[in-house]
Amino acid sequence: MLDTLLLHRVQFAFTASFHYLFPQLTMGLALLIFILKTLGLRGHAWADVAARFWLKIFGLTFLMGVVTGIPLEFQFGTNWSQLVKSTGSILGQTLAMEGMFAFFLESTFLYLLIFGEKKLSQPLHWGVSFLLMAGTWLSGYFIICTNAFLQHPVGYRIDEDGVYHLTSIWALLSNPWALKQYLHTMTGSVITGCFTMSSIAAYYLLKEKHVEVSRRFLKVSVIVGFAACLIAVMPTGDWEAKQVLKHQPVKFAAMEGHFHTEDGAGMVLIGQPNLEELKIDNPIIIPHVLSFLTYSSWNAEVKGLTAYDRDLWPDNIELLYFSYHIMAGLGTLFIALMGLSILMLLKGKLHTTRWLLWLLMLSLPFPFIANTAGWFTAEIGRQPWLIYGLMKTADGASRNISEGNVLFTLLGFMGLYLLLSVLYFFLATRLIGQGPEALNLNQTDAATAEGA
Amino acid sequence: METVWLLLLVFMIATYVVLDGFDLGVGVLHLLLARNRAEQKQIMQSIAPLWDGNEVWLIAAGGTMMMAFPGFLSSMFSGFYLPLTMVVWLLIFRAISIELPHFLEDSLWIHFWNMMLFVSSGLLIVILGAAMANVFRGVPLDATGSFFEPLWTNFRIGKQTGILDWFTILGGITSATILLHHGALWLIAKTDGVIQQRALKGAAWLWGGSLLLTLVMFAACYQVQTQARGNFSSHPWMWILPVLALLSLGGSLLFRKRQRHLSAFLCSGAFIYLFLFGGTAALYPNLLPGLNPEHHLTIYNTSPSTEKLATTLWWWIPGILLVGVYFTILFRSLPPVISASSTDEH
Ligand code: HDD
Ligand code: HEM
Ligand code: HEM
Repeated sequence: MLDTLLLHRVQFAFTASFHYLFPQLTMGLALLIFILKTLGLRGHAWADVAARFWLKIFGLTFLMGVVTGIPLEFQFGTNWSQLVKSTGSILGQTLAMEGMFAFFLESTFLYLLIFGEKKLSQPLHWGVSFLLMAGTWLSGYFIICTNAFLQHPVGYRIDEDGVYHLTSIWALLSNPWALKQYLHTMTGSVITGCFTMSSIAAYYLLKEKHVEVSRRFLKVSVIVGFAACLIAVMPTGDWEAKQVLKHQPVKFAAMEGHFHTEDGAGMVLIGQPNLEELKIDNPIIIPHVLSFLTYSSWNAEVKGLTAYDRDLWPDNIELLYFSYHIMAGLGTLFIALMGLSILMLLKGKLHTTRWLLWLLMLSLPFPFIANTAGWFTAEIGRQPWLIYGLMKTADGASRNISEGNVLFTLLGFMGLYLLLSVLYFFLATRLIGQGPEALNLNQTDAATAEGA
Repeated sequence: METVWLLLLVFMIATYVVLDGFDLGVGVLHLLLARNRAEQKQIMQSIAPLWDGNEVWLIAAGGTMMMAFPGFLSSMFSGFYLPLTMVVWLLIFRAISIELPHFLEDSLWIHFWNMMLFVSSGLLIVILGAAMANVFRGVPLDATGSFFEPLWTNFRIGKQTGILDWFTILGGITSATILLHHGALWLIAKTDGVIQQRALKGAAWLWGGSLLLTLVMFAACYQVQTQARGNFSSHPWMWILPVLALLSLGGSLLFRKRQRHLSAFLCSGAFIYLFLFGGTAALYPNLLPGLNPEHHLTIYNTSPSTEKLATTLWWWIPGILLVGVYFTILFRSLPPVISASSTDEH
């Protein structure tokens, strides 16, 4: 049973992590495309050209998001049937709402956005880009509400037979955990969108291709990106950390690598958790900072892992600790990179500073890594609970499926997703190679003059 | 309240079958009907904008099922673990084989995408029918309401059921024929020229097949499921459902002969709705019969929160109306008739 449980978990983690690579990009790009369409509406012809190009990347990524999202929906029933049996009437609410209010919206308006440009008037087409963004952002909210119920259950009642009943749909939808988690995840996906856009712009500029369009969308992505990087840390990252500390203290201690209760606790910047001796190896610790960040007081007491029963510790503390530190570390570097780019932009030298363009180009994978690491923090830190404080992960898995069957499907998903990745990379590279259509500069001037 | 949700759920599932049914049917037919790339594009353009929205009905129905009858979803999804996982894989293949040609219009790869679309759509419509037949026949539920079925045993219906036996295979063939017919009617309504001609020819055969298999299937259902016999004899009004179903199937022939192609398609849709509602009526109030009648999963023992299901309608009804609006916009944005020459726009 234990092995089967592990396989269920690995399969879910693998398919969910893979899925999230795509929505984080589409949700971020949806905002950027909307911004570009807004600029287009105000008469900037380059922005329409850029929007058309990014819409192609969006379409491809969206497709991947769709095909990898459906398995997740199924897996609640196939792999976590005991969870569904007891909490389905609650989790099903937000999942059904996501389908009805978000997915239908997305699938309808994506088509109109891609194929409707010639048929619709410009303001209508702009409106469609807004609705598409609304669809992707709504679907994010509903799924975060589902996850937030697992992290911090609200609005339920449990019967003697262990079945959960929804007592308030409103409580479920306004779960305070969900609100903060949503803001932080959406910021994360805007970062992904911006880094992707700036990376490809940097590539074109370094290759001296499509210069006129790409230096302009570089500007948009750097400005939005800088704002998002700041928001990811303050206030949303800080809110998340405080909320974890308040409601899931064990997760907090484990992700910070804080083993022993202390007054005036220091924050571990670097070091490897050593679970035999319950300490951090090769640490670099800034004294008192953890106390200050968590309780706004330099000498406050911060409880360590050893203050809690070992049964309640997450089962993979090392991975949890590294995930959290990778996310937070990258978050700091992102601010530095985008900050520098803003400085250069202000000086008007961003599109000619080759070393910075190189950095921007190469930074493409890192927001994806940060987002995945963030989810690892949230989900591994929730262990051993499936619903925090109420249901253990072991009690949520399907009981009637043998190890071999789960292994078979896990291997199947791995093979299939490998194929999908290859196809995605190949096709995305082709799209980037084709690039945006040529920008007719006279047209820009004319349009700008008209708009003015 | 449970009955209301059962009707709503069956409505959503049936809508999924009617909508995704025609694009799956077209997914199979395109390989048989088109002789060149322009014709293929003409066919694909009649479904490319729609399949994703159609498929969302499956997701929305799944969410609704989880919310209204979690015990049913939990038992069914874990019990049919392997086939459902394979359905997911097939859905992935289907989706990429429709969309990737937009990104990679290359003569070598086109063959590959076409073949992939043909195989995945074909398997999906067969599995869809086989799955429904499984639910109808019943599965070896234990006292906790769970089961696990092997893919096949000895193809007879007995104590040791497998997912594939003569009844479920019959279900698969029936659903494939009906949905191919449905897909052909869609093409007849949406296209012109040679494709329409060929689809008309195909539809004539498929109509005969659908009628024959439907009759066989009705008889088999009556044989296999004792509950059906009981329900239909104690509530004779239920006969109206299969009778209307057959009339709709007849209607699809009549309208096709009279060149009222859209009406023919809609009749075929009505036929599918009535078929599925008829099946539901036959099982009522069971959702998933067990071999041992004490272990039947019913709409009552799989649904936990009756009170809340009433309030859930407050968001469900506006939601479904909105979906209606989206689908109106979407279907109207499609050109009324797709010709082979009009496909080179993008
Ligand atoms: C580019 C993406 C990105 C960046 C730069 C950051 N995060 Fe993050 N973080 C996420 C993307 C993300 C995420 C993927 O969106 C998560 C996963 C689940 C969630 O709620 O958001 C997340 C989760 C998450 C959690 C766990 C919440 C839980 O257990 O439910 C904490 C405590 C933080 N973040 C804190 C931070 C801090 C202090 C950061 C800055 C230094 C930071 N994050 C940067
Ligand atoms: C898309 C972003 C997500 C990623 C990358 C992700 C990642 C993970 C990981 C790594 C695990 C494994 C934890 C472990 O086994 O130690 C996991 C488990 C799980 N997650 Fe998530 N998750 C995501 C979103 C969600 C959401 C939105 C939900 C709820 C709707 C959810 C529900 C679950 C469930 C039910 C499990 C299985 C039980 C468990 O092992 O905790 N996940 N996920
Ligand atoms: C276990 C958790 C999850 C499940 C069950 C799930 C389910 C799905 C499904 C079924 C689809 C396809 C919809 C269609 O056919 O149009 C989808 C797509 C999508 N999902 Fe997820 N999802 C999960 C996690 C997430 C998370 C964490 C986010 C964002 C915060 C997210 C955002 C999206 C978006 C924006 C789409 C649209 C397609 C795209 O943009 O790539 N999903 N998801």
